[in-house]
Amino acid sequence: MTTPHGATRIKLASIIGLLLAAAGPAWGAPITFNTALPVQEDGWVLREQFVLSRNADDPDPAANRNMRASGVVSILGYGVTRDFALFGVLPYLDKRLDVNAAGQRVTRRDDGFGDLTLIGRYTAYTRDAPGRTFRIAPFLGVKAPTGRDDARDGLGRLPPTVQLGTGSWDFLGGAVVTHQTLDWQVDAQLAYRANREANGVRFGDVGGLDASLQYRLWPQELGSGVPAFLYGVLEANLVHAGKNRISGARDPNSGGTTLFLSPGLQYVTKKWIVEAGVQVPVVQDLNGTALKNDYIVNAGLRINI
Amino acid sequence: MTAIWRSTVLALVLALGSASAFAAQAYKLRVDGLACPFCAYGVEKQLKAVKGVEKVDVDIKTGNVIVTVAEGTAFDEATAKKAVTDAGFTLRGFEKLPAQGSGK
Repeated sequence: MTTPHGATRIKLASIIGLLLAAAGPAWGAPITFNTALPVQEDGWVLREQFVLSRNADDPDPAANRNMRASGVVSILGYGVTRDFALFGVLPYLDKRLDVNAAGQRVTRRDDGFGDLTLIGRYTAYTRDAPGRTFRIAPFLGVKAPTGRDDARDGLGRLPPTVQLGTGSWDFLGGAVVTHQTLDWQVDAQLAYRANREANGVRFGDVGGLDASLQYRLWPQELGSGVPAFLYGVLEANLVHAGKNRISGARDPNSGGTTLFLSPGLQYVTKKWIVEAGVQVPVVQDLNGTALKNDYIVNAGLRINI
Repeated sequence: MTAIWRSTVLALVLALGSASAFAAQAYKLRVDGLACPFCAYGVEKQLKAVKGVEKVDVDIKTGNVIVTVAEGTAFDEATAKKAVTDAGFTLRGFEKLPAQGSGK
């Protein structure tokens, strides 16, 4: 059976997994989740997103856990039709856990490609007007176990959260709503990820409710042509993870609810976008001895191909 | 002899330039839903993929897109609508502008 320490860390992996899988690929759009704005038919959009997450606020001083996950998430979007787009999400991760064990400070780590997620998004409703648009787009996705899930070090098999992949086929779905004007944009997303069992562990399902406001800071007055925009971004992510099951039994030290607030900046041109934001947990209601999150940094680039 | 050649070349260049100016035809499209720079790229790309389209100028504030096509190009409202729709937006207006380079 996984130790309470190991099990509680699974919640972190679930949250990051949902955020990565739901990360959107395009447009002046949310930094931490998707958008309903279109990918042109037969067009490609590439997003490279750097993510750094740190969890060092350990309620168990004896273990004094310190978990850090960083990586680059590559997201490629393709417009199959004007309404249907496919996205592939592939992270390259470096995971590291420092923990006190048997009187020693030990480090468990692995790096490499994680699990591949494929998402199909269909724009079910569009209402366009001069200088504004409103769209609703449901999406479905599947996460394939492409990442290594049986890595070992001198201490034995790495705990599940340090593994690059979960070993399971998981499914996600949801819907995103976007209202964009020339001055501002609002997005909201409801997402759910159903996790399945692998290696005797079934991570708790994860539900997320996200909201994003992007406000054009510059230029204050629009000129002619297609000027670049600087957006100020404020996002909120409410994430709830269910308890994990270890060999069929619920783990009381896993799962919980976290609310992130995420300020950021986005510079949008016709061909590319650069952006950065930081997710700060303002409410963390975690079960048992769950390891709390300190912050998640997102920075990246999106390119119209 | 050199002067004759120069004159001939100059005349040819002027004639070609003049022909090009006379041939260009512009259309004004009103596109709804355009509200950010990144989206404008899709509209430009889809319209530029239409055979004979030489230039696409997007004005994001007004939603107007000026499309300049070569002489003899079959550019009509249906063609424009398909390109704008494929980009993910809505064509609300289509207007043929007066011919450019009309000798003034």
